[in-house]
Amino acid sequence: MKEAMKTLVLGLGNPIVSDDGVGIRVAQQVQGMVDQREVTVEETCLSGLGLLDILTGYDKAIIIDAIQTAEGKAGQIYRLEPEAFNATRNVCSTHDVNFITALELGNRLGMALPRQISIFAIEVTDTSTFSEECTPGVREAIPVCAGMIVRELNSASRSL
Amino acid sequence: MNKITIDPITRLEGHGKIEIFLDDEGDVANAYLQIPELRGFEKFCEGRPVEEMPRITPRICGVCPGAHHMASSKAADAVYHAEPPPAARKLRELFYCAHMIHSHVAHFYALAAPDFVLGPTSDPAERNILGVVAKLGLEVGGEVIKHRAYAQDIQAAIGGKATHPVCGLPGGMSKPITEEERKDFEDKAKSLVEFGKFGLKLFDELVLANKEYLDLIVGDVYSMNSYYMGLVDSDNKVNFYDGDIRVVDPDGKEVARFRPADYLEYIAEHTEPWSYLKFPFLKQVGWKGLVDGKDSGVYRVNSLARLNVADGMATPLAQAEYERFYETLGGKPVHATLAFHWARLIEILYAAERLLELCQDDEITSPEVRTIPTSTPDEGVGVVEAPRGVLIHHYQTDEKGIIQKVNLIVATVMNNPAMNMSIKKAAQGLIKKGQAASEGLLNMVEMAFRAYDPCMACATHALPGQMPLEVVIRDSSGEVKETLSRNLCSEPHPIKVRVVH
Repeated sequence: MKEAMKTLVLGLGNPIVSDDGVGIRVAQQVQGMVDQREVTVEETCLSGLGLLDILTGYDKAIIIDAIQTAEGKAGQIYRLEPEAFNATRNVCSTHDVNFITALELGNRLGMALPRQISIFAIEVTDTSTFSEECTPGVREAIPVCAGMIVRELNSASRSL
Repeated sequence: MNKITIDPITRLEGHGKIEIFLDDEGDVANAYLQIPELRGFEKFCEGRPVEEMPRITPRICGVCPGAHHMASSKAADAVYHAEPPPAARKLRELFYCAHMIHSHVAHFYALAAPDFVLGPTSDPAERNILGVVAKLGLEVGGEVIKHRAYAQDIQAAIGGKATHPVCGLPGGMSKPITEEERKDFEDKAKSLVEFGKFGLKLFDELVLANKEYLDLIVGDVYSMNSYYMGLVDSDNKVNFYDGDIRVVDPDGKEVARFRPADYLEYIAEHTEPWSYLKFPFLKQVGWKGLVDGKDSGVYRVNSLARLNVADGMATPLAQAEYERFYETLGGKPVHATLAFHWARLIEILYAAERLLELCQDDEITSPEVRTIPTSTPDEGVGVVEAPRGVLIHHYQTDEKGIIQKVNLIVATVMNNPAMNMSIKKAAQGLIKKGQAASEGLLNMVEMAFRAYDPCMACATHALPGQMPLEVVIRDSSGEVKETLSRNLCSEPHPIKVRVVH
């Protein structure tokens, strides 16, 4: 029998800026639906280098975040692998590096980062109004996305 | 030059934008920085108990939660007229030194260093922290990550939560630290002092020893004669957590020194139709437009400003570096915008030394960390030096302590006039006669802005997980000539996604 993979479910975002907090809302729902000991659910508003510390020590990570694409419809859920962000790696004029750069740095430095990372991204509309509520289309996606993650966690634990 | 009206819709795309307007000759006529602003914060806060503010305000952005927590806790102290006991003040300052280190280290190594280690016009694919680590060695990357984690551990232990501190209450702190924690912090502080020294040595070797870079720093393109504002202690030394606000003129002469609660007598805000951000200026000098010099009320905050307003640093190693800084750059005040980076490294060393002092303070483990408020709450102002500069929180409450009015002036807004001017000056100095602006050239324009370490408090977390910035060049008819985008959320980017729902 294989050993259970230590898994982190991580909701990203800002819970007081409307749709930006959607990742956190999903993580909170997942928290109430899973009971596997090997699964930890966390939420954070960190990005870049700050994520390295949180991810260290897990075999697998499922990250939930907001996304805005050119033609996206509010509430659409995407499934991404971190490699998908290779094209966007760059230094930017903000206070931190992007996620893939941070991951690559962590790997080069030999940090114990998850071997498997998947990202659930939810298409959002409003990321600039202070509010503890998501917009309606995005709100509807929260239980759907949480359900997908829970099914994935359950099937991983059944396959042991 | 044709007049361009910027459509309000395009202003709200959720990303920062630098717009450069050329004249008929193809020279730069004007340049503007646009930063999106989050909406509705005051309304969000009204009706909440003031003691919730130190827990809400760190959520404003993921970059400076510690700064908002401290400014907010201090404002809440003032609202309740509850002065924290000495041990609580020291504990807050200890926490805050760790916060400063955490923030400055990320900015220098991840964002500033690539321009100097790889070069301002090097291949953008390499010009990032991975390139820095590739060039300087993995062990440098390891040291950066390790010391950032030390600073984070200290913040988390005192703050009570890894990212959003919850330790500050009106009148003090929620809990003291144990002797075991103190010992752990002390060990980490010692290591951080060494790391602070290392950063300055690295800056010497990489930047100061390179004549080209030194010329770039002291050159006219990145220079601006402004007023400066920052917190100083009773000896006029730099202090991040507390003190009076001091203002010096472009000659370095003190023109104001006041209690933070009196800020409205000294700071006013100008508005421009093309910007969501306001343009703070010194009331006593007045708003003369986006111009520098003694007659213009434009002032700057952040690391360089803190050093310029102070008479020195309160710790020995940082003081020696402070003296060397002014000797090298030709005396006080220094107007070189790129010197913000060097000043930041001196501040890392100061913060580490001060951290160590506080860890060795006899009172630091005292259980006396709270003054229980007994008077009726009304109004209060709290000010700290955020990593990016002076941060003001001002609350008014009813007699039950329920928020009626909130006013926040954040450091990035204070630097908004200066950032616009620095960008314009760099663009004018670098882009000539309509020549095709290369990515490297535009990066050098961005360097003028990056030096201020601005925090664009928009949706920092929306994927792809980094703050987007766009540089647009328009010709004299207003047509877009060139666009340089960095990870714009609103742009289609080449990501293969699978829509699963």
